[in-house]
Amino acid sequence: MLKALLLLLLIPPVFGQTKPVELRIAAAADLQPVLEVLGPAYEKKSNVHLAVSYAASSVLATQIISAGPGGPFDTFMGADFVFPEKVVAANLADTGSPIPYAKGTLVLWTRNGSPFNPLHLSALESPTLKSLAIADPEHAPYGRAAAEALKRLKLDDKVKDHLVRAENVGQAGQFAFTGNAELAIISKTLAVSPKFKQSGTFVLFPFSSYTPLTQTAVVLRNAARRDAAHAFLDWFLSREVQQQLPELGLTPVN
Amino acid sequence: MDLDALWLTFRLALTTTAILLCVGLPLAAWLAYGQSRLRPLVQALVALPLVLPPTVLGFYLLVLLGPTTAFGRVITATLGHPLAFSFTGLLIGSLLYSLPFAIQPLVSGMVAIAPELREAAATLGARPSVVFVRVTMPLIRPSLLTAGILTFTHTVGEFGVVLMLGGNIPGATRTLSIALYDEVADFNFAAANRTALLLLVFSFVSLLLVHWRAGQRSTRLV
Repeated sequence: MLKALLLLLLIPPVFGQTKPVELRIAAAADLQPVLEVLGPAYEKKSNVHLAVSYAASSVLATQIISAGPGGPFDTFMGADFVFPEKVVAANLADTGSPIPYAKGTLVLWTRNGSPFNPLHLSALESPTLKSLAIADPEHAPYGRAAAEALKRLKLDDKVKDHLVRAENVGQAGQFAFTGNAELAIISKTLAVSPKFKQSGTFVLFPFSSYTPLTQTAVVLRNAARRDAAHAFLDWFLSREVQQQLPELGLTPVN
Repeated sequence: MDLDALWLTFRLALTTTAILLCVGLPLAAWLAYGQSRLRPLVQALVALPLVLPPTVLGFYLLVLLGPTTAFGRVITATLGHPLAFSFTGLLIGSLLYSLPFAIQPLVSGMVAIAPELREAAATLGARPSVVFVRVTMPLIRPSLLTAGILTFTHTVGEFGVVLMLGGNIPGATRTLSIALYDEVADFNFAAANRTALLLLVFSFVSLLLVHWRAGQRSTRLV
Protein backbone atom coordinates (compact mmCIF):
# COMPACT_ATOMS: atom_id res chain seq x y z
CA MET A 1 0.00 0.00 0.00
CA LEU A 2 2.73 2.43 1.03
CA LYS A 3 4.73 1.45 -2.02
CA ALA A 4 1.76 2.22 -4.27
CA LEU A 5 1.40 5.67 -2.71
CA LEU A 6 5.08 6.39 -3.17
CA LEU A 7 4.82 5.37 -6.82
CA LEU A 8 1.95 7.80 -7.26
CA LEU A 9 4.24 10.60 -6.09
CA LEU A 10 6.71 9.75 -8.82
CA ILE A 11 4.21 10.28 -11.63
CA PRO A 12 4.86 13.66 -13.27
CA PRO A 13 2.21 16.12 -12.13
CA VAL A 14 1.51 17.63 -15.55
CA PHE A 15 -0.47 15.81 -18.19
CA GLY A 16 -1.31 16.99 -21.69
CA GLN A 17 0.01 20.48 -22.38
CA THR A 18 3.72 20.92 -21.81
CA LYS A 19 4.97 23.65 -19.56
CA PRO A 20 5.29 26.95 -21.47
CA VAL A 21 8.75 28.20 -22.36
CA GLU A 22 9.59 31.34 -20.40
CA LEU A 23 11.05 34.02 -22.65
CA ARG A 24 12.86 36.74 -20.74
CA ILE A 25 12.67 40.13 -22.42
CA ALA A 26 14.47 43.30 -21.36
CA ALA A 27 12.29 46.02 -22.86
CA ALA A 28 12.55 49.80 -23.08
CA ALA A 29 9.97 51.54 -20.90
CA ASP A 30 8.00 52.88 -23.90
CA LEU A 31 7.10 49.27 -24.82
CA GLN A 32 5.13 48.58 -21.65
CA PRO A 33 1.71 49.56 -23.06
CA VAL A 34 2.59 47.85 -26.37
CA LEU A 35 3.63 44.50 -24.91
CA GLU A 36 0.71 44.57 -22.50
CA VAL A 37 -1.50 44.31 -25.58
CA LEU A 38 0.67 42.19 -27.89
CA GLY A 39 2.11 39.91 -25.18
CA PRO A 40 -1.10 38.08 -24.27
CA ALA A 41 -1.91 37.68 -27.99
CA TYR A 42 1.45 36.01 -28.58
CA GLU A 43 1.14 33.85 -25.47
CA LYS A 44 -2.23 32.60 -26.72
CA LYS A 45 -0.92 31.49 -30.10
CA SER A 46 2.41 30.04 -28.95
CA ASN A 47 3.41 27.99 -25.94
CA VAL A 48 5.57 30.83 -24.64
CA HIS A 49 5.24 32.87 -21.50
CA LEU A 50 6.73 36.36 -21.73
CA ALA A 51 8.56 37.64 -18.66
CA VAL A 52 9.25 41.28 -19.43
CA SER A 53 11.46 43.67 -17.44
CA TYR A 54 10.93 47.35 -18.25
CA ALA A 55 13.51 50.10 -17.68
CA ALA A 56 15.36 52.85 -19.50
CA SER A 57 17.33 51.43 -22.44
CA SER A 58 20.69 52.38 -20.96
CA VAL A 59 19.89 50.83 -17.61
CA LEU A 60 19.04 47.56 -19.37
CA ALA A 61 22.14 47.74 -21.60
CA THR A 62 24.36 48.32 -18.55
CA GLN A 63 22.81 45.36 -16.76
CA ILE A 64 23.12 43.08 -19.79
CA ILE A 65 26.74 44.06 -20.45
CA SER A 66 27.70 43.81 -16.76
CA ALA A 67 26.09 40.38 -16.45
CA GLY A 68 28.03 39.15 -19.49
CA PRO A 69 27.31 35.85 -21.25
CA GLY A 70 25.59 34.34 -18.22
CA GLY A 71 22.92 37.02 -17.93
CA PRO A 72 19.23 36.27 -17.43
CA PHE A 73 17.74 37.83 -20.57
CA ASP A 74 17.04 36.21 -23.94
CA THR A 75 16.38 39.38 -25.88
CA PHE A 76 16.73 43.12 -25.45
CA MET A 77 14.23 45.44 -27.15
CA GLY A 78 15.63 48.95 -26.91
CA ALA A 79 14.01 52.27 -27.76
CA ASP A 80 16.77 53.26 -30.19
CA PHE A 81 19.79 51.93 -32.08
CA VAL A 82 22.50 53.17 -29.69
CA PHE A 83 21.96 50.92 -26.67
CA PRO A 84 21.31 47.62 -28.47
CA GLU A 85 24.43 48.46 -30.54
CA LYS A 86 26.43 48.63 -27.28
CA VAL A 87 25.34 45.05 -26.57
CA VAL A 88 26.50 44.07 -30.08
CA ALA A 89 29.82 45.84 -29.49
CA ALA A 90 30.26 43.90 -26.24
CA ASN A 91 30.04 40.75 -28.35
CA LEU A 92 26.92 39.56 -26.55
CA ALA A 93 24.42 39.64 -29.45
CA ASP A 94 23.90 36.87 -31.97
CA THR A 95 23.58 39.24 -34.95
CA GLY A 96 26.15 41.65 -36.39
CA SER A 97 23.82 44.59 -35.88
CA PRO A 98 20.60 45.34 -33.99
CA ILE A 99 17.31 44.41 -35.67
CA PRO A 100 14.92 47.35 -36.24
CA TYR A 101 11.37 46.44 -35.20
CA ALA A 102 9.44 49.76 -35.05
CA LYS A 103 9.78 53.53 -35.07
CA GLY A 104 8.81 55.70 -32.13
CA THR A 105 6.98 59.03 -32.02
CA LEU A 106 7.52 61.84 -29.54
CA VAL A 107 4.52 63.69 -28.06
CA LEU A 108 3.71 66.40 -25.54
CA TRP A 109 1.10 65.28 -23.01
CA THR A 110 -1.00 67.05 -20.39
CA ARG A 111 -3.86 66.08 -18.11
CA ASN A 112 -7.48 66.97 -18.84
CA GLY A 113 -8.30 70.11 -16.91
CA SER A 114 -4.77 71.46 -17.20
CA PRO A 115 -4.57 75.20 -17.95
CA PHE A 116 -2.57 74.31 -21.07
CA ASN A 117 -5.63 72.92 -22.84
CA PRO A 118 -6.27 73.04 -25.75
CA LEU A 119 -2.76 71.69 -25.91
CA HIS A 120 -0.29 73.08 -28.40
CA LEU A 121 3.52 73.03 -28.53
CA SER A 122 3.44 76.75 -27.69
CA ALA A 123 2.57 75.69 -24.11
CA LEU A 124 6.32 75.12 -23.78
CA GLU A 125 6.88 78.85 -24.19
CA SER A 126 4.26 79.81 -21.64
CA PRO A 127 5.57 82.08 -18.87
CA THR A 128 3.32 80.27 -16.37
CA LEU A 129 4.87 76.86 -17.05
CA LYS A 130 6.35 75.45 -13.84
CA SER A 131 7.26 71.86 -14.58
CA LEU A 132 7.94 69.81 -17.68
CA ALA A 133 8.87 66.15 -17.22
CA ILE A 134 11.15 64.45 -19.70
CA ALA A 135 12.93 61.10 -19.55
CA ASP A 136 16.61 61.36 -18.68
CA PRO A 137 18.37 62.49 -21.90
CA GLU A 138 21.44 60.46 -21.05
CA HIS A 139 19.83 57.12 -20.42
CA ALA A 140 16.51 57.10 -22.17
CA PRO A 141 16.22 57.44 -25.95
CA TYR A 142 12.91 59.31 -25.62
CA GLY A 143 14.65 61.68 -23.23
CA ARG A 144 17.43 62.27 -25.72
CA ALA A 145 14.88 62.90 -28.48
CA ALA A 146 12.99 65.29 -26.18
CA ALA A 147 16.13 67.29 -25.41
CA GLU A 148 17.02 67.37 -29.10
CA ALA A 149 13.54 68.53 -30.14
CA LEU A 150 13.51 71.27 -27.49
CA LYS A 151 16.87 72.46 -28.76
CA ARG A 152 15.92 72.44 -32.44
CA LEU A 153 12.67 74.27 -31.71
CA LYS A 154 14.75 76.79 -29.71
CA LEU A 155 12.73 76.07 -26.57
CA ASP A 156 15.55 74.68 -24.46
CA ASP A 157 16.40 78.01 -22.81
CA LYS A 158 12.74 78.69 -22.04
CA VAL A 159 12.10 75.37 -20.29
CA LYS A 160 15.56 74.89 -18.77
CA ASP A 161 14.51 75.93 -15.24
CA HIS A 162 11.33 73.85 -15.29
CA LEU A 163 12.76 70.53 -16.44
CA VAL A 164 12.11 67.51 -14.28
CA ARG A 165 14.14 64.51 -15.31
CA ALA A 166 12.48 61.13 -14.91
CA GLU A 167 14.39 57.89 -14.76
CA ASN A 168 12.71 56.61 -17.93
CA VAL A 169 9.86 57.60 -20.24
CA GLY A 170 7.34 55.68 -18.13
CA GLN A 171 8.20 57.74 -15.08
CA ALA A 172 8.03 60.97 -17.12
CA GLY A 173 4.47 60.00 -18.01
CA GLN A 174 3.69 59.07 -14.42
CA PHE A 175 4.91 62.49 -13.17
CA ALA A 176 2.40 64.24 -15.44
CA PHE A 177 -0.31 61.61 -14.96
CA THR A 178 -0.25 62.20 -11.18
CA GLY A 179 -0.42 65.94 -11.81
CA ASN A 180 2.94 66.63 -10.22
CA ALA A 181 4.38 67.83 -13.54
CA GLU A 182 2.22 70.09 -15.69
CA LEU A 183 3.48 68.76 -19.01
CA ALA A 184 5.49 65.73 -20.09
CA ILE A 185 7.30 64.78 -23.25
CA ILE A 186 6.64 61.08 -23.67
CA SER A 187 6.31 58.33 -26.25
CA LYS A 188 3.16 58.08 -28.30
CA THR A 189 2.89 54.48 -27.07
CA LEU A 190 2.16 55.80 -23.58
CA ALA A 191 -0.05 58.65 -24.77
CA VAL A 192 -2.41 56.33 -26.70
CA SER A 193 -2.61 53.72 -23.93
CA PRO A 194 -6.09 53.55 -22.37
CA LYS A 195 -5.24 55.27 -19.08
CA PHE A 196 -3.39 58.20 -20.61
CA LYS A 197 -5.93 58.58 -23.39
CA GLN A 198 -8.71 58.80 -20.84
CA SER A 199 -6.95 61.30 -18.57
CA GLY A 200 -5.31 63.67 -20.99
CA THR A 201 -4.45 64.92 -24.45
CA PHE A 202 -1.32 64.97 -26.56
CA VAL A 203 0.19 66.70 -29.57
CA LEU A 204 2.98 65.42 -31.79
CA PHE A 205 6.40 67.01 -32.13
CA PRO A 206 7.36 67.77 -35.73
CA PHE A 207 9.20 64.74 -37.12
CA SER A 208 11.98 67.04 -38.31
CA SER A 209 12.74 68.15 -34.75
CA TYR A 210 14.39 64.91 -33.60
CA THR A 211 16.47 62.07 -35.01
CA PRO A 212 14.05 59.25 -35.91
CA LEU A 213 13.60 56.86 -33.00
CA THR A 214 14.32 53.62 -34.80
CA GLN A 215 13.74 51.04 -32.11
CA THR A 216 15.96 47.97 -32.43
CA ALA A 217 16.39 44.64 -30.70
CA VAL A 218 19.09 42.06 -30.19
CA VAL A 219 18.90 38.39 -29.25
CA LEU A 220 21.61 37.49 -26.77
CA ARG A 221 24.23 35.09 -28.07
CA ASN A 222 24.21 32.81 -25.04
CA ALA A 223 20.50 33.04 -24.36
CA ALA A 224 18.93 29.85 -23.07
CA ARG A 225 15.90 30.39 -25.31
CA ARG A 226 17.49 31.90 -28.41
CA ASP A 227 15.11 30.21 -30.85
CA ALA A 228 12.07 31.33 -28.93
CA ALA A 229 13.48 34.87 -28.88
CA HIS A 230 13.95 34.90 -32.67
CA ALA A 231 10.50 33.43 -33.17
CA PHE A 232 9.02 36.23 -31.07
CA LEU A 233 10.90 38.97 -32.97
CA ASP A 234 9.90 37.39 -36.31
CA TRP A 235 6.30 37.49 -35.16
CA PHE A 236 6.72 41.15 -34.12
CA LEU A 237 8.05 41.89 -37.62
CA SER A 238 5.23 40.00 -39.34
CA ARG A 239 2.77 41.99 -41.45
CA GLU A 240 -0.06 41.19 -39.09
CA VAL A 241 1.68 42.74 -36.05
CA GLN A 242 3.34 45.62 -37.90
CA GLN A 243 -0.08 46.65 -39.22
CA GLN A 244 -1.33 46.78 -35.66
CA LEU A 245 1.53 49.01 -34.45
CA PRO A 246 0.06 52.44 -35.39
CA GLU A 247 -2.87 52.02 -33.02
CA LEU A 248 -0.33 51.24 -30.29
CA GLY A 249 1.67 54.41 -30.98
CA LEU A 250 4.49 52.95 -33.10
CA THR A 251 5.27 53.17 -36.83
CA PRO A 252 6.00 49.93 -38.73
CA VAL A 253 9.53 49.47 -40.04
CA ASN A 254 8.58 47.59 -43.21
CA MET B 1 32.63 64.21 -8.47
CA ASP B 2 29.24 65.89 -8.65
CA LEU B 3 29.78 68.74 -6.15
CA ASP B 4 26.20 69.99 -6.47
CA ALA B 5 24.96 66.55 -5.47
CA LEU B 6 27.43 66.39 -2.59
CA TRP B 7 26.36 69.78 -1.23
CA LEU B 8 22.67 68.99 -1.66
CA THR B 9 23.02 65.63 0.08
CA PHE B 10 24.85 67.33 2.95
CA ARG B 11 22.16 70.02 3.29
CA LEU B 12 19.35 67.47 3.16
CA ALA B 13 20.98 65.21 5.75
CA LEU B 14 21.86 68.09 8.06
CA THR B 15 18.36 69.66 7.92
CA THR B 16 16.74 66.27 8.46
CA THR B 17 18.99 65.54 11.45
CA ALA B 18 18.44 68.94 13.05
CA ILE B 19 14.65 68.74 12.74
CA LEU B 20 14.45 65.11 13.85
CA LEU B 21 16.59 65.70 16.95
CA CYS B 22 14.41 68.66 18.00
CA VAL B 23 11.14 66.81 17.39
CA GLY B 24 12.67 63.54 18.56
CA LEU B 25 13.57 64.59 22.11
CA PRO B 26 10.06 65.25 23.42
CA LEU B 27 8.65 62.34 21.43
CA ALA B 28 11.34 59.98 22.76
CA ALA B 29 10.72 61.22 26.33
CA TRP B 30 7.02 60.52 25.92
CA LEU B 31 7.79 57.04 24.59
CA ALA B 32 10.35 56.33 27.33
CA TYR B 33 8.44 57.71 30.35
CA GLY B 34 4.84 58.07 29.24
CA GLN B 35 2.03 55.93 30.63
CA SER B 36 -0.46 56.46 27.82
CA ARG B 37 -2.25 53.48 26.35
CA LEU B 38 -1.50 54.94 22.92
CA ARG B 39 2.20 54.21 23.41
CA PRO B 40 2.37 50.89 21.51
CA LEU B 41 0.53 52.52 18.61
CA VAL B 42 3.01 55.39 18.41
CA GLN B 43 5.95 53.00 18.86
CA ALA B 44 4.72 50.94 15.92
CA LEU B 45 4.20 54.06 13.79
CA VAL B 46 7.69 55.36 14.57
CA ALA B 47 9.29 52.01 13.74
CA LEU B 48 7.30 51.63 10.52
CA PRO B 49 9.89 53.18 8.16
CA LEU B 50 12.40 50.52 9.28
CA VAL B 51 10.41 47.80 7.59
CA LEU B 52 8.41 49.64 4.96
CA PRO B 53 9.78 49.69 1.39
CA PRO B 54 10.73 53.28 0.53
CA THR B 55 8.59 52.91 -2.59
CA VAL B 56 5.47 52.87 -0.37
CA LEU B 57 6.47 56.27 1.00
CA GLY B 58 7.35 57.49 -2.50
CA PHE B 59 4.00 56.35 -3.85
CA TYR B 60 1.96 58.12 -1.16
CA LEU B 61 3.96 61.33 -1.42
CA LEU B 62 3.65 61.34 -5.21
CA VAL B 63 0.02 60.29 -5.61
CA LEU B 64 -1.90 60.97 -2.37
CA LEU B 65 -0.11 64.26 -1.75
CA GLY B 66 -0.01 65.09 -5.48
CA PRO B 67 -2.16 67.75 -7.13
CA THR B 68 -4.89 65.30 -8.18
CA THR B 69 -6.22 64.89 -4.62
CA ALA B 70 -7.93 67.52 -2.45
CA PHE B 71 -5.28 67.25 0.26
CA GLY B 72 -2.54 67.51 -2.35
CA ARG B 73 -4.14 70.63 -3.81
CA VAL B 74 -4.00 72.31 -0.40
CA ILE B 75 -0.29 71.49 -0.16
CA THR B 76 0.33 72.69 -3.72
CA ALA B 77 -1.49 75.94 -3.04
CA THR B 78 0.38 76.51 0.24
CA LEU B 79 3.83 75.79 -1.14
CA GLY B 80 3.18 77.27 -4.57
CA HIS B 81 4.36 73.98 -6.11
CA PRO B 82 3.72 70.26 -5.61
CA LEU B 83 5.82 68.36 -3.05
CA ALA B 84 7.42 66.36 -5.83
CA PHE B 85 10.58 67.70 -7.50
CA SER B 86 11.39 70.03 -4.61
CA PHE B 87 13.81 70.11 -1.70
CA THR B 88 10.82 70.42 0.65
CA GLY B 89 9.37 67.22 -0.77
CA LEU B 90 12.64 65.36 -0.27
CA LEU B 91 12.92 66.79 3.24
CA ILE B 92 9.45 65.52 4.19
CA GLY B 93 10.31 62.13 2.70
CA SER B 94 13.61 62.05 4.63
CA LEU B 95 11.98 63.07 7.92
CA LEU B 96 9.58 60.15 7.69
CA TYR B 97 12.17 57.77 6.32
CA SER B 98 14.81 58.48 9.01
CA LEU B 99 12.45 58.96 11.98
CA PRO B 100 13.18 55.63 13.72
CA PHE B 101 16.93 56.21 13.44
CA ALA B 102 16.57 59.36 15.53
CA ILE B 103 13.95 58.12 18.00
CA GLN B 104 15.14 54.65 18.88
CA PRO B 105 18.63 55.53 20.22
CA LEU B 106 17.11 58.38 22.23
CA VAL B 107 14.45 56.12 23.75
CA SER B 108 16.99 53.44 24.71
CA GLY B 109 19.25 56.11 26.19
CA MET B 110 16.42 57.51 28.29
CA VAL B 111 15.19 54.11 29.45
CA ALA B 112 18.73 53.22 30.56
CA ILE B 113 18.92 56.12 33.04
CA ALA B 114 18.41 54.87 36.59
CA PRO B 115 14.95 56.13 37.68
CA GLU B 116 16.40 57.09 41.11
CA LEU B 117 18.37 59.94 39.53
CA ARG B 118 15.28 61.57 38.08
CA GLU B 119 13.25 60.82 41.19
CA ALA B 120 15.92 62.36 43.42
CA ALA B 121 15.86 65.55 41.36
CA ALA B 122 12.08 65.61 41.54
CA THR B 123 12.01 65.16 45.34
CA LEU B 124 14.45 68.06 45.60
CA GLY B 125 11.78 70.18 43.96
CA ALA B 126 12.87 70.22 40.31
CA ARG B 127 10.02 70.59 37.85
CA PRO B 128 9.76 67.89 35.11
CA SER B 129 11.19 70.29 32.52
CA VAL B 130 14.16 71.06 34.79
CA VAL B 131 14.72 67.34 35.41
CA PHE B 132 14.72 66.79 31.67
CA VAL B 133 17.21 69.56 30.90
CA ARG B 134 19.55 69.13 33.88
CA VAL B 135 19.45 65.38 34.53
CA THR B 136 18.17 63.50 31.49
CA MET B 137 19.86 65.54 28.75
CA PRO B 138 23.43 65.32 30.11
CA LEU B 139 23.01 61.58 30.68
CA ILE B 140 21.78 60.82 27.17
CA ARG B 141 24.50 62.80 25.39
CA PRO B 142 26.03 59.64 23.88
CA SER B 143 22.59 58.53 22.59
CA LEU B 144 22.06 61.97 21.16
CA LEU B 145 25.29 61.65 19.22
CA THR B 146 24.35 58.14 18.02
CA ALA B 147 20.92 59.34 16.96
CA GLY B 148 22.46 62.26 15.10
CA ILE B 149 25.04 60.16 13.25
CA LEU B 150 22.56 57.42 12.33
CA THR B 151 19.96 59.90 11.10
CA PHE B 152 22.50 61.80 9.04
CA THR B 153 24.01 58.64 7.53
CA HIS B 154 20.66 57.04 6.83
CA THR B 155 19.46 60.19 5.04
CA VAL B 156 22.64 60.24 2.93
CA GLY B 157 21.83 56.64 1.99
CA GLU B 158 18.27 57.36 0.92
CA PHE B 159 17.49 56.26 -2.63
CA GLY B 160 14.03 54.85 -3.32
CA VAL B 161 12.03 57.84 -2.12
CA VAL B 162 14.28 60.29 -3.96
CA LEU B 163 14.10 58.27 -7.17
CA MET B 164 10.32 58.20 -7.08
CA LEU B 165 9.78 61.78 -6.01
CA GLY B 166 12.82 63.78 -6.98
CA GLY B 167 12.87 64.41 -10.69
CA ASN B 168 16.68 64.45 -10.68
CA ILE B 169 17.06 68.25 -10.66
CA PRO B 170 20.68 69.32 -10.16
CA GLY B 171 21.03 71.33 -6.94
CA ALA B 172 17.46 70.64 -5.83
CA THR B 173 16.77 66.91 -5.85
CA ARG B 174 19.77 65.16 -7.43
CA THR B 175 21.41 63.56 -4.38
CA LEU B 176 24.63 61.53 -4.35
CA SER B 177 22.85 58.18 -4.44
CA ILE B 178 20.91 59.31 -7.55
CA ALA B 179 24.08 60.70 -9.14
CA LEU B 180 25.70 57.30 -8.61
CA TYR B 181 22.74 55.53 -10.21
CA ASP B 182 23.02 57.84 -13.23
CA GLU B 183 26.76 57.38 -13.54
CA VAL B 184 26.32 53.60 -13.62
CA ALA B 185 23.53 53.81 -16.21
CA ASP B 186 25.70 56.09 -18.35
CA PHE B 187 28.56 53.56 -18.32
CA ASN B 188 30.63 56.22 -16.52
CA PHE B 189 32.25 53.76 -14.17
CA ALA B 190 35.18 56.02 -13.21
CA ALA B 191 32.82 58.67 -11.82
CA ALA B 192 30.62 55.96 -10.27
CA ASN B 193 33.68 54.59 -8.54
CA ARG B 194 34.52 57.93 -6.96
CA THR B 195 30.95 58.51 -5.74
CA ALA B 196 30.57 54.96 -4.46
CA LEU B 197 33.90 55.07 -2.63
CA LEU B 198 33.03 58.37 -1.00
CA LEU B 199 29.69 56.98 0.23
CA LEU B 200 31.32 53.76 1.41
CA VAL B 201 34.11 55.47 3.36
CA PHE B 202 31.76 58.06 4.83
CA SER B 203 29.24 55.45 6.00
CA PHE B 204 31.94 53.22 7.42
CA VAL B 205 33.64 56.03 9.34
CA SER B 206 30.29 57.20 10.74
CA LEU B 207 29.40 53.74 12.00
CA LEU B 208 32.91 53.28 13.33
CA LEU B 209 32.46 56.46 15.33
CA VAL B 210 29.18 55.17 16.81
CA HIS B 211 30.62 51.80 17.76
CA TRP B 212 33.95 53.13 18.93
CA ARG B 213 32.23 55.51 21.33
CA ALA B 214 29.84 52.78 22.46
CA GLY B 215 32.82 50.52 23.12
CA GLN B 216 34.56 53.24 25.15
CA ARG B 217 31.46 53.74 27.25
CA SER B 218 30.98 50.10 28.10
CA THR B 219 34.63 49.64 29.18
CA ARG B 220 34.36 52.72 31.33
CA LEU B 221 31.26 51.39 33.04
CA VAL B 222 32.69 47.96 33.79
